[in-house]
Amino acid sequence: MIVEFWGQEFKVNIILGCIGGFLIAIVSSMFGFGGGPFMVPLMTVGLGLPMYVVVGSSLLAIFFNTLMGTARHFQFGNFDLVFFLIMFPAAILGGFIAPQIAKRVSPLTVKRVAVAGLLILALNLLGVY
Amino acid sequence: MKRPSILVLGFVLLAVGLLFATGTRAEEAKPGGSTAVQESKLTEPLAPPSIQIDKTSLENGRTIVVTGTAPAGKPVFIEVWGEKKVRASRFDADPDKETGKRPYVLYMTEDMPAYYKIFISQDQKDKLDKAKKEGKKWSFSQLLKDVGADVIYSAPAKIKIERYQASLLGSIIGSRGDILPQMDDKENKKRSMQLVKARFRSPDKVMGTDVQMNPDGSFRAEIKIRGGLAPGKYTVVASVDKITKSQPATFENHIGFPLIFLENAGTSINMFGPFLLTLAIAIFGVLMGAGGGFIMNPLFVSIWPLPHTIVAGTVMPTVLFSQGSGIYNYSKIKFINWKLGTTIGLAMVAGGFIGPKLTELITLDQFKFVFGWILLVLAGLMFWQTMPGYIAKNKKEQAILKEFKQKAEAAAKQKGN
Repeated sequence: MIVEFWGQEFKVNIILGCIGGFLIAIVSSMFGFGGGPFMVPLMTVGLGLPMYVVVGSSLLAIFFNTLMGTARHFQFGNFDLVFFLIMFPAAILGGFIAPQIAKRVSPLTVKRVAVAGLLILALNLLGVY
Repeated sequence: MKRPSILVLGFVLLAVGLLFATGTRAEEAKPGGSTAVQESKLTEPLAPPSIQIDKTSLENGRTIVVTGTAPAGKPVFIEVWGEKKVRASRFDADPDKETGKRPYVLYMTEDMPAYYKIFISQDQKDKLDKAKKEGKKWSFSQLLKDVGADVIYSAPAKIKIERYQASLLGSIIGSRGDILPQMDDKENKKRSMQLVKARFRSPDKVMGTDVQMNPDGSFRAEIKIRGGLAPGKYTVVASVDKITKSQPATFENHIGFPLIFLENAGTSINMFGPFLLTLAIAIFGVLMGAGGGFIMNPLFVSIWPLPHTIVAGTVMPTVLFSQGSGIYNYSKIKFINWKLGTTIGLAMVAGGFIGPKLTELITLDQFKFVFGWILLVLAGLMFWQTMPGYIAKNKKEQAILKEFKQKAEAAAKQKGN
């Protein structure tokens, strides 16, 4: 598939993109997360697209997944309204506060902290300690 | 050709099942009846135990003292359960002991008491410890048998359990599978025990060794009702055997702000906990450029006794809004390739249709385990993004991104004017 973006044309292996997206969608909707951190590498490394093409389009693709996943979880009764009403305002508020903090911290530091945090959490979940 | 044969097979199975069910029932009735006759011959029918409780109202749990008298020398079991009901499910994919076949049946109930616990004599602590030592493999039915409480197990025994025959195709098209005929009482009781384990997970959640028994038959139990349980009416019954039970005593558990009861999750939690955690992780998620769901979900199921299905199904919609506003912002500056996004998006819709179905087929431990691996991969990806090579490449791309954005914003402004 040829993707046209701001006057530039990119050739995309859409079959790889769709299979990858399909698998990521299964796992992410099963475990209830967005899937962005997996979609972005899939589209940059796997499909060879530059970052500026990927940021917006990957978000659109993930939005489809989140919409469907939400509807299905609701259908299976996996949704707790009160729990949602607690988390939702916090998530929105976080979205407003974060850009204020983002100006003051280096993204590299955040990522390093994230790597350490994720490793600790992962090992805990795997029952290593 | 295939359909009719499945239909016929179904009918045959149904017929065999019915035969079997009625057969076992008939068998059951006989020995039961004869022992009752024998017992009445040997001893007089036992007087039902009496019980008193010292409180009728609790504020988010406390210790409640149950006292009473039972026929001397007989072990007393105290069953306590709450009136609130929650869902419990279990996917049976363990190979059958005789045939070695995996049944792939999903058992599901909406009527599991949100709280259920049997209190047994202090002398039997070793049996409970034995079950605890078995780790995740403990069996509730075995534990009940070991302590002799299988005859008095009653509150969840008759809950309505639905069975679905799951199939690979069914899972792909996202259905729970064909609903199987109702089970007989005996089978229902057996499966309810497995669901009790699936819901309460650890032995000490469903059994306590707090009953002090005296030789004269009087007993006393200090029952600790922990915080964070469902509000509402709780019923206490002391039993000696299947028919010798005390009158039920009831108390009311109240919870107040900031504690709130999550109907679907079946637990009460302090609302500030999830609020602050979500806030912190939402901020951190934006900073590191990944959604918070990755960190939020495993933390929620680890910190609070929330079912993983509820967590997955409730965290997902919270990001809808931020994703939607992100798409809106990018579309304003024409930063979305709709063809690319929609094509991959449609593939993801298909995936999103299947995933939520699979959540209820796995246990919390499997959920945590797989999540552990997902996080390891994610940590690897994040680490790669901190490597000098990636940063250099990223810097260039970020510069282009910025340039494009400025161009797009300028273009959008011009259009607006």
